Amino acid sequence: MSEHTTRPIRALIAEDEPILAAALTHALRRLWPELEIVATCVNGVEALQQGLALLPDILFLDIKMPGKTGLEAAEEMAEQWPETRPFPHIVFVTAYDEYALSAFEHAAADYVLKPVNDARLGKTVERLRQRLNAGTVNTQAAPPADDNLARLLTQLQAMTPPAPRLQMIRAAVGNSVRMIPVADVVYFEALDKYINVVCHDGEALIRTSLKELLPQLDPQQFWQIHRGTIVNASAIATAVRDDMGKLSLTLRQHPAQLRVSPLYAHLFRQM
Amino acid sequence: MHSALPATHKKKTRWYQMLYGVRYALVISIIFTIVITYGLDPGSDIKLNFIASMCIGSIIYLLFNGLRLTLLNEQRKHKLWYMIGLMLVVAPLGQVAGLKLFSWLTGVSVDSIASLLPTRIISTLTFTLIGGGGAVLFFANREKIARLEAAAAEEKARAESVARQAMQTQLQLLQAQIEPHMLFNTLANLQGLISFDTDKAQLLLEQLIQYLRATLSSSRADTTTLGQEFALMDAYLGLMAIRMGTRLSYTLQLPDSLRETKVPPMLLQPLVENAIQHGLEPKIEGGHITVEASTDGARLILTVRDDGLGLDHPGQTKGTQLGVSNIRERLQVMHGDAASLSLNAQPQGGVIASLILPLQSTTTSIPS
Repeated sequence: MSEHTTRPIRALIAEDEPILAAALTHALRRLWPELEIVATCVNGVEALQQGLALLPDILFLDIKMPGKTGLEAAEEMAEQWPETRPFPHIVFVTAYDEYALSAFEHAAADYVLKPVNDARLGKTVERLRQRLNAGTVNTQAAPPADDNLARLLTQLQAMTPPAPRLQMIRAAVGNSVRMIPVADVVYFEALDKYINVVCHDGEALIRTSLKELLPQLDPQQFWQIHRGTIVNASAIATAVRDDMGKLSLTLRQHPAQLRVSPLYAHLFRQM
Repeated sequence: MHSALPATHKKKTRWYQMLYGVRYALVISIIFTIVITYGLDPGSDIKLNFIASMCIGSIIYLLFNGLRLTLLNEQRKHKLWYMIGLMLVVAPLGQVAGLKLFSWLTGVSVDSIASLLPTRIISTLTFTLIGGGGAVLFFANREKIARLEAAAAEEKARAESVARQAMQTQLQLLQAQIEPHMLFNTLANLQGLISFDTDKAQLLLEQLIQYLRATLSSSRADTTTLGQEFALMDAYLGLMAIRMGTRLSYTLQLPDSLRETKVPPMLLQPLVENAIQHGLEPKIEGGHITVEASTDGARLILTVRDDGLGLDHPGQTKGTQLGVSNIRERLQVMHGDAASLSLNAQPQGGVIASLILPLQSTTTSIPS
């Protein structure tokens, strides 16, 4: 127990504008002198690497960054975070209108606005201290941070304007265009600049991103289960947790096994 | 009213339109000939009837329209009763004079009016009057239509000119808008610097003031000089370079000879903003921007070059295309096809935007 109280709290800052990063560091030193800032990253890719390497307790993530946005970095970090360590508390640092702030409120993920003022940052520091203390005494007191993140991502997705529903997928195969009814798709899998459309009777590539595809699908029928996977819910047979605690899906009439990101594990809790 | 008429109408005298009416007078004379030959006086010589109709028709036409147009009022229109009254006077005169002309031309003797039976006089006159009346209605109607058409065309031209002027102003204001996002981020930087580097804070504040002042004056002016536009770009890029640190470097190349050249304001700004927002800010390593002015004969060429992410990466949003189409619309309104904007991928990566403007043309004024 004494190990918990003496171990310093460690934080990572990701901010692409050097002056803003320095200003946040200065403000945190003033308001929370014991906090140890273990890394200051200048883009989303570096934030992901450093986060996974240093495993800090708190992430201050700028949302608009080159490489990856703060949201993307957090999402990928949650998927690759070691199960044995608690996921860090995330504070998003955002310019005034980058994202609808109500989504952050609902998701209970903390956020601070740029320009950051000491009074507001002071409240954030207070909240973080409380959560960290609660976490050391009783892990059930606060919801796991990755649950908050999942909720935030769902909220933000829900805010993208609804696109017209896709009925048929047109996939170029050689010289011809294959027409695939959306209902026949077993799952979609992101591959670099393409999406692999997997059906019972074969696969086809379409040139788009899951981000663009998702709003065109019926959310009741198609579930995102991973950053790179959307599955047809009616094709899922079972959800299995392996020895390492990782969740994966088996499918009806298809041999593939699909990994489920911890972010979306809540979809497969028993009723 | 008169002076408000479109230019093409001003040059013509009021009698000019008599020329146009001649073909209709001819048609009416032919109808008369046919009616007389096959209806009123069967068996008579069609050639003689035609000459007689032409004589009477021409004289009535000349008298009627000549008098009418001479007595024309300011509004260039007459009440219908006025025209009918005129016709009542002109028709008998035309009848008598026309027949005299006819017998003089053809040598065919025509019974003098006095020797005819009163019934015959009345029927002949009535016939001529009916024709004259028809012509009056026809011409009155045609003139009314022409007047309405001219008024509609004038109204349309005026509305178009107003709309064009409004669009021009709106586009210019749009492009002079200071993005709130940019302003807040700059203020955030300023706030940070004040607490730990006051010299740099001072520098940033100076750049911000210079940028705001230049943007405001550009949004109000019709024209500006290349020197001023480049000073604005210097302030903007200076701000961004402080914010982005080592990730942004830039070069401005303006030959001294072009410093005083007049250009429409706010054409360069959106291109430089695009290069930063979509090319360099989202690129991990950042990069370099070059803004350059040069001439090619009578053409002024302004280029904005960057080595950023390029045109086809997913960060190129609808906002970029809107900014570019706004510039194109402004160029079209100001210079027609003499000006253009092209965006191209650079072979070594990044984008080059080229603006071409006619060198002499310096104003944004709209032809009225």
